Amino acid sequence: MDLGNLQSIAFSAPELILIATAILIFLADLVVRQKEQLGALALFGCAGALIASIGLRMPFSDRWLVQGLFGWGEGWLYSRMVIVDDFAVFFKLLFALAAFVTIWMSLGSREVQDGDEGEYYGLVLASTVGLFYMASAANLLMAYLALELVSLTSYVLTGYLRRNRRSGEAALKYLIYGGVSSAVMIYGMSWLYGLAGSLDYQKLNATVLHGHVEPLTVFVAIVLVLAGLGFKITAVPFHMWAPDAYQGAPIPVTAFLSVGSKAAGFAMMIRLFYPGLSAPAVGDGGGWTFLAGADWPQLMLVLCMATMTLGNLAALGQENVKRLLAYSSIAHAGYTLMGFVVLNDAGLRAMLFYLITYYLMNLGAFLVVMVVANSTGREDLDGYRGLAWRGGAVPAVAMAIFLFSLAGIPPLAGFVGKFYLFAAVVEQRYYLLAAVGFANTLVALYYYVRIIRTMFLDQPRGDEGVVALDTHNAFLLYFLAIPTIVLGIYWAPVIALADRSVRFFLG
Amino acid sequence: MEPTAVSTLRWIPLLPLLGAVVNGIFGAAIQRRAGKGAIAVLAVAPIGGAFAFALLAFVQLLGLPPEGRMLLDVVWRWIAVGSLQVNVAFMADPLSCTLLLVITGIGGLIHLYSMAYMREDDAYWRYFAYLNLFTFAMLVLVLADNLLLMFVGWEGVGFCSWALIGFWWREPVNTTAGNKAFIVNRIGDCGFVLGIFAMFWTVDTVVFRDIQAHVGLLDGRMLWGMPVVGLATLLFFVGATGKSAQIPLHVWLPDAMQGPTPVSALIHAATMVTAGVYMIARLHFLYALAPGTLAVVAGVGAATAILAATIGLVQDDIKRVLAYSTVSQLGVMFVAMGVGAWSAGVFHLVTHAFFKACLFLGAGSVIHALHHEQDMRKMGGLRTQLPVTFWTFLIATLALAGAPLTAGFFSKDEILWQAWSSPLGSPLLWTVGVVTAGLTACYMFRQIFLVFFGENRVDPHVAAHVHESPAAMTVPLVILAAGSLLVGFLGVPEAFGGANRFAAWLAPVFATGHAEGHHAAHAASLEWMLTAVSVAVATTGAFVAFLVYQRRTVSADAMAALGGGAPYRLLLHKYFLDELYWATVGRGVLLLARIGAWIDRRVIDGIVDGSATLTRGIARLEGRFDAVVVDGLVNALANATGALGARLRRVQTGNINTYLYVVVGTVTLVLIARLF
Amino acid sequence: MDHVLTLMTFLPLLGAAIVLALPSQHHALIKQVALAATLPTLLLGVWLFVAFDRGTTDFQYVDKVPWIASYNIQYFVGVDGISITMVLLTALLCPLCVLASCGIDKGVKGYFALFLLLETGMLGVFVALDFFLFYVFWEVMLLPMYFLIGIWGGARREYAAIKFFLYTFAGSVLMLIAMLVLYFGSEPHTFDMTVLMQRTGVFDMRTQHLLWMALFVAFAIKIPVFPFHTWLPDAHVEAPTAISVILAGVLLKMGTYGILRINYGILPAATADLAFWALAVLGTFNIVYGALCALAQTDLKKLVAYSSISHMGYVMLGMAAFTPQGINGAVLQMFNHGTITAMLFLLVGVIYDRAHHRNIDGFGGLASVMPVYTGFTALAFFAAMGLPGLSAFISEVLVLLGAWQRYPGLTTVAASAIVLTAGYLLWTMQRMWLGPLNAQYAHLPEIDARELVTLVPLAVIVLVLGVYPHAVLDLINTSLLHLNEIVKAGAATGVALR
Repeated sequence: MDLGNLQSIAFSAPELILIATAILIFLADLVVRQKEQLGALALFGCAGALIASIGLRMPFSDRWLVQGLFGWGEGWLYSRMVIVDDFAVFFKLLFALAAFVTIWMSLGSREVQDGDEGEYYGLVLASTVGLFYMASAANLLMAYLALELVSLTSYVLTGYLRRNRRSGEAALKYLIYGGVSSAVMIYGMSWLYGLAGSLDYQKLNATVLHGHVEPLTVFVAIVLVLAGLGFKITAVPFHMWAPDAYQGAPIPVTAFLSVGSKAAGFAMMIRLFYPGLSAPAVGDGGGWTFLAGADWPQLMLVLCMATMTLGNLAALGQENVKRLLAYSSIAHAGYTLMGFVVLNDAGLRAMLFYLITYYLMNLGAFLVVMVVANSTGREDLDGYRGLAWRGGAVPAVAMAIFLFSLAGIPPLAGFVGKFYLFAAVVEQRYYLLAAVGFANTLVALYYYVRIIRTMFLDQPRGDEGVVALDTHNAFLLYFLAIPTIVLGIYWAPVIALADRSVRFFLG
Repeated sequence: MEPTAVSTLRWIPLLPLLGAVVNGIFGAAIQRRAGKGAIAVLAVAPIGGAFAFALLAFVQLLGLPPEGRMLLDVVWRWIAVGSLQVNVAFMADPLSCTLLLVITGIGGLIHLYSMAYMREDDAYWRYFAYLNLFTFAMLVLVLADNLLLMFVGWEGVGFCSWALIGFWWREPVNTTAGNKAFIVNRIGDCGFVLGIFAMFWTVDTVVFRDIQAHVGLLDGRMLWGMPVVGLATLLFFVGATGKSAQIPLHVWLPDAMQGPTPVSALIHAATMVTAGVYMIARLHFLYALAPGTLAVVAGVGAATAILAATIGLVQDDIKRVLAYSTVSQLGVMFVAMGVGAWSAGVFHLVTHAFFKACLFLGAGSVIHALHHEQDMRKMGGLRTQLPVTFWTFLIATLALAGAPLTAGFFSKDEILWQAWSSPLGSPLLWTVGVVTAGLTACYMFRQIFLVFFGENRVDPHVAAHVHESPAAMTVPLVILAAGSLLVGFLGVPEAFGGANRFAAWLAPVFATGHAEGHHAAHAASLEWMLTAVSVAVATTGAFVAFLVYQRRTVSADAMAALGGGAPYRLLLHKYFLDELYWATVGRGVLLLARIGAWIDRRVIDGIVDGSATLTRGIARLEGRFDAVVVDGLVNALANATGALGARLRRVQTGNINTYLYVVVGTVTLVLIARLF
Repeated sequence: MDHVLTLMTFLPLLGAAIVLALPSQHHALIKQVALAATLPTLLLGVWLFVAFDRGTTDFQYVDKVPWIASYNIQYFVGVDGISITMVLLTALLCPLCVLASCGIDKGVKGYFALFLLLETGMLGVFVALDFFLFYVFWEVMLLPMYFLIGIWGGARREYAAIKFFLYTFAGSVLMLIAMLVLYFGSEPHTFDMTVLMQRTGVFDMRTQHLLWMALFVAFAIKIPVFPFHTWLPDAHVEAPTAISVILAGVLLKMGTYGILRINYGILPAATADLAFWALAVLGTFNIVYGALCALAQTDLKKLVAYSSISHMGYVMLGMAAFTPQGINGAVLQMFNHGTITAMLFLLVGVIYDRAHHRNIDGFGGLASVMPVYTGFTALAFFAAMGLPGLSAFISEVLVLLGAWQRYPGLTTVAASAIVLTAGYLLWTMQRMWLGPLNAQYAHLPEIDARELVTLVPLAVIVLVLGVYPHAVLDLINTSLLHLNEIVKAGAATGVALR
């Protein structure tokens, strides 16, 4: 179906709920004293968006979830600007959850508490709206706008800690790099427009695949666009902003950026490159074909290997846990890309599944970082010495779980995620990529274990301070840690969800 | 003919094992509660029982027709994997039965002797546990019906030997001797076990009877360019050199004298060291097929006989003289084996067991009397104080020296005759034997004169209360001395009008081997002549000893000084073989060990840690690149905070350029790569 | 008793959960619970030993349920002659190790919880028949091991722990690749080992060789084979006694078990081609090299560690021989080495608890203060030497006898190592237990009842298997002969056996 603007409004429940909540918060900010209430309000907003998204389509196998509130089909909204389909909904769920966790974290975060939270929560929600549209944009312009919305809010959120110099610097750098990247990207988009004479993905697709276009032109355009997307997913060499931005931003924001906007970048990328620039291969199961000559998979292959390798190597030397996790998240962008280059649904499914597991373990890791920072104000590795032996047993064990999961050791979610990625790669006989990937997991294991060693094997010197875990954060910790284990042991429904979400509306 | 199935043989080894287990586990408690007497009873009774069962087996065998004289007692299925079917099964034929009687009989006497000899030792129970365990292992070795079970006994006696040599383990010198014995034996065992593998590889069985039955399978089987039968017999012989202290593995036996004297008598004279001879006799049907190996056996035996005898001439330790004499006599037995004179060799084994045990126990009695003094230079004139010891010792010496009509005379003469007349023999071997006989007589009488004659050089403190040993020690001496006189008549050669009952008794076993003595009859005159010569030489040897150590017409020192004393030193230091082995093999192995450990620590771990360091290095480089590009901006901004837009802009532009370069650079690079 | 294996595997995990639930200051209680958690598995093991059908080559007591249907991953466990001994060994050693761990007083709760988790991991590896499941258990076992060495270990424990972790993880990464290649090579895709065993034809020889190599390296690191072995001395020396026992007693066996189960079972042709160099030659080298290194050690525990390297070489040589005696000897040797080396490490622990050092030259004459202890040491040492009448003799003779049939030269070299073994063990015996008493240790207490309880069962097994090896041989023989035939058949399809 193809709806005009007015009909579409009713179908935009999740986004509208978020926007409404955001505005409400901005207004309430003027009157309300206890800012926690604003946070609570934001939580409700996210919950609403979540429910609305679930209701919007039934991503799960219809057997075990009753038809939701709305239950419409898939199609175009706002006259082909936006798409609603399984793929979009999958990401909307992910983003809603990410925002929810972020806000929950913020409510328990020392840093955030002493700023003016009103606009903070508002901005998080606004940013979430941007994420939603990045995942569902069906039009280059829409995609660009969504991306910019996310970027702009992210800049502000990064610089949220006014009294903290690093925070300001980080925001500034983020802004500058973001500006350059999106400039390059929109230049690339203009090339595409020049080719297709339209910003609409579908028309673009038709032109690129069936119109007689010079592959090299397409390739140039793709490369330019990649600069912008690479920036969002922190792919080497567009990653340089990430470590400082991540380190400077308040921890909840870091978590949000490393999960939310990165996932959104992947979503946009997949939609642009797969339904946008490629076509489902006829015959064999879930393969895709792209324009001969404009061989972006090769390019992505190189990018992918470079990203994971450089990310891991850089992480090796880090002494600041937050910064280390920033680099590790770069490396994980590399792992995720492995699913992108193999050109089949198995790869995409693996990506989606990996994003879920990554969501759990990365948010979890940052949460522990926040808990430690709350009590001791420290983010450096020495601040974690003997964490398990000075009251921080629960956070330490949780951290161990998240880190081992990031390292990809069974029976934890991260292993299953990596397993599917590597399986997809091996199935397509990209043995070099597989080898590089495995070498990287080894390197990664080393620096993850370094943190674990510091927490468990080293004895506290006494100057680290005592770590306390309040129920608010504890709840979130369990909320993230338990699924990390459970998904490592039984993940059939989730992989089914991911499998089903690799389904694009192609008209 | 099929062997006769019985179920009595198992008790022969089992009883001593029982004694060993009881004394080994509860010994300490028993000794504390019931005293040493109980221990002794618990230890001696099983041997007595075993002796009784051995006699029973002997009678049973006699009851059978000669060619059917074989008892088999299958106890349980031990190892059955694929075609390898090995039972714990005991087999008694005339050969093993002979050894049984020697082991349990003489062994029993030595147990009796030990009761008194070890009386003062606190670890009484441990001693007897070991002694019983040894007897058990030795009996298994002899009774085994297959190579693997024989190997159990083979290494078992080695273990007990280790334990008993190092019995007084507080003295490092004792434990070192024990270790030396075990390790040198292990070299031999290694050969033995490889021999077993070669056998199984070709004949597909390790049971003696079946090997003998399928010996034909060995025809034409080659390995490493030599016939497998030759290789296997050689490997077995390596085992024999270890166990029976033949060149080049003879070095452990003299050191083994660190053990209690009864142990030397039992293990290092009468039983264990003869295992090699027994093994060759047991496998004679293989050796008969390997003339090459037989030549080696005879050669090694002859060389050992001479070498040991010469060393024996100059030893001052009463036990070491006997030790070298043992080595030498074992050499003689191997000469017999080497010329295919199976029963002659075994006969000498038996007689030797008697008189050598007697000699050792006699030496023990002397040492006991002198409170553990072993240096013959501190003895002399003891014949009056230790009459029994003296007379038994003298008899045994005569037997060993081969004085006519003693046991040693008949057995040695038989060997010498075979060495000359056997198709595998040669006058050279005979000459070696005769010279050995001469040397033997010489060093034995030297010992007699040094210990029992001449002036008393005993340390005055000790001399005061020197006394003859108690009956428990003298009775065995007397019995053994009597044996040394009489057992010889079991095997009087035809040439001397005897019937050689011993050879006849063993004949069914060796039926397949070389027929011996077949040409004895029509060469009797020659045999008489050869015997005369050997006796003459022996007498000369004794006479030389008499001149030097009794009459002193020639001074010992003068003889030592002969040739600038070099020969004397050579003998005194046992031809420097110990030193040679240590310098080459010992040091060599230790060096290899250190090299290995070094490679482990330095090379391999070096590579491992090195690669780790390398990765971290790369990481640091990568991080620096990151720092230059990324953190450059941070620092710049840090400087610029609070500054005016103008400055800020300059800083930014600088870095936007960097970033642009990277982005655009990447893009162009990709395009170039794409174009070519 | 249909689910006996599942019960055996997961009861310890349940125990771990209970331990975690207990208040952490009640040390005694925690220890009792931990012991109680290992005993049911042991009892089930005994039952399994009695009820196991010795006559069949099929897998027994199979539990098979779909796990992740979409990827055809199953929860599939069962035992045959190859795994039964390892299961029994693990079930036997764990209670003993809990007993041996009574000295632990730091982080007691964590220690025993991790230990029980470890037991589950180990048993899982041996019973798993689905490659994915196998891999999961294989890795699960890593984590507790890392912490057990790293937290409760000796001075250089951090280095040892991470070294162990990285080495093994590197291996398992290779295993994962091979596993995936096998999975996608099979039609329909499956991780089911029993199915994969039927499908050897689907790869060309070159791929099979590469797969074999990848898997071999993964397992070789665990065995450990030269030159992948240097994690072992460090790990053994730094680990607490009970963990050394587990390391040497069970973990090393996983390497050889993996080769038998996966390389032999799934890639017989490649096995036939590569066994000579990869197993026979390297195995022989292990035997001699390990013995030589042991000879040069001054730390008793390191010496025992190197003796393990040496003795695991026999296992490799034996299974490379492709003769009934060789392969039976190899698996029997796995079991025997498990019991003997466990004794050795327990004995090392006894003296270390008293003297707080392990320097061989730092003792002397211990026999006069600790006679009983000395007796057990002597038994363990001579068992390790392969003295006839003790268990190791049977397995080593079988291995060498089997190996001679195919590699007489190598076997001769390997056999020569028995001299070295006797050398370093007797020399150690002399320096530590015999000779004049070192006055410094004149008042060491004799081995106590608890320590005896950990040693006596092993001693009994060592003695019994020496005179009646069929207690184990009957369990393994049928399956191993079958496996041997499979490889020989594979050889026919591939290049001829060396």
